[in-house]
Amino acid sequence: MGGRSSGLWLIYALGGGWGHLTRAAALARVARGPVRILTNSPYAGEVCARLPDLDIVALNPELPVARAREEAVEQIRESGAACLIVDTFPRGLGGELASLLPGLGAVRALIHRDLNPVYVRGKAIEEFVRSNYDVVIRPGPAEAAPLAGLPQVRTTAPWLIRSARELPSREAARRLMGVEERQCVLVLAAGKIEEQAWYGSVARALSGALEGVGVRCVAPSCPAGCPEAGWVRYWPAMDLLPGVDVVVGGGGYNTVYECLACGVQLVARAWARKYDRQALRAAGQAEACPTVDEVVAAVRTCLARTRARTEFPNGVFEAVEILERVSG
Amino acid sequence: MTPADWTCPRRIGFLFPHPCGRISPVGCPDCQNGQVQDPYAQRTDREGYDNYGDYDSADWPGATGASGEPLNFTEADGERLVKPEEEFEGDLTAS
Repeated sequence: MGGRSSGLWLIYALGGGWGHLTRAAALARVARGPVRILTNSPYAGEVCARLPDLDIVALNPELPVARAREEAVEQIRESGAACLIVDTFPRGLGGELASLLPGLGAVRALIHRDLNPVYVRGKAIEEFVRSNYDVVIRPGPAEAAPLAGLPQVRTTAPWLIRSARELPSREAARRLMGVEERQCVLVLAAGKIEEQAWYGSVARALSGALEGVGVRCVAPSCPAGCPEAGWVRYWPAMDLLPGVDVVVGGGGYNTVYECLACGVQLVARAWARKYDRQALRAAGQAEACPTVDEVVAAVRTCLARTRARTEFPNGVFEAVEILERVSG
Repeated sequence: MTPADWTCPRRIGFLFPHPCGRISPVGCPDCQNGQVQDPYAQRTDREGYDNYGDYDSADWPGATGASGEPLNFTEADGERLVKPEEEFEGDLTAS
């Protein structure tokens, strides 16, 4: 990090799960000036532990909605940020930015991950973004973008927490997971806490079904049903992908684009989300499998294929350039 | 692949048939991932129902209003049940 941008960039990254926080961390770690992340993710502690240099303000995820809205607004006002970067939710996750943004004396940027078109229509999001954001960055040309027609939109490659040159070798990644078998399947248990048990069942079924294949499950705590010996606590999971032949995961932003970047086959269960269309993102990029039995069958098929290695760009660098330009 | 602006055109619902409106057929319990064209058309067992029915206080003790009148389903109840307002911006654990 250097000192090219003197004003603070504040990234509004409220939202459940890992996605918003990981995308924010990916940007923050390569930015050349001060960046603060505002989050309410229950996984904030994991990220703070691995990236202690990041300035992360973690709201209590258990706060009542009204209080969380107030605290978010308070944090934004008190930060004096020169640039407010809002991840995904143009009006704020609780709608609290709708009245704040028009009078805010900061450059305003939106990170335009996919959004539910019913929400976009229902809350007149397109008009709101047109009037209230200086720039809209679409993080990945394949990412669905209901606001793609707006003149402020700039598209970058997907934003990733690691660039190609930072990833460990296949051998080093396998050591991180304690894998000795020739092939490895990683169950990437991202998403909501209540979804962890499904991943635990998958890990158990795969361990029983695949002889001679290392099966690991990466999660902040061992999911119910997952064999303890196969559980790996590690973030960011992208570090593990060079050592993996097949990933079983959801259809979230980071899972899909990290697998795509590393050339790892993905067997995905697309979970229902209020704002995100996981099935749409995973389509064409993953084997879609809603049941444990289907997952086991799909993993067997994938293991018979050769894993493709790829070089990949990381869109966060281009995003920093864009943000520096609009911030002046 | 489901188009970005797709919403399901099928009708669903047993008591209150209504447009589905889901934004993806994946995981849909009604049409089984798009395999069933019109799930409601399969439900011939609804033929004997000609109105919304009521909570007769003889059958449902306690299901009465303050003055003792039975609390029946109305058309407005049906509307509310089949067109629930999508709750946006009320759940800060969503993503």
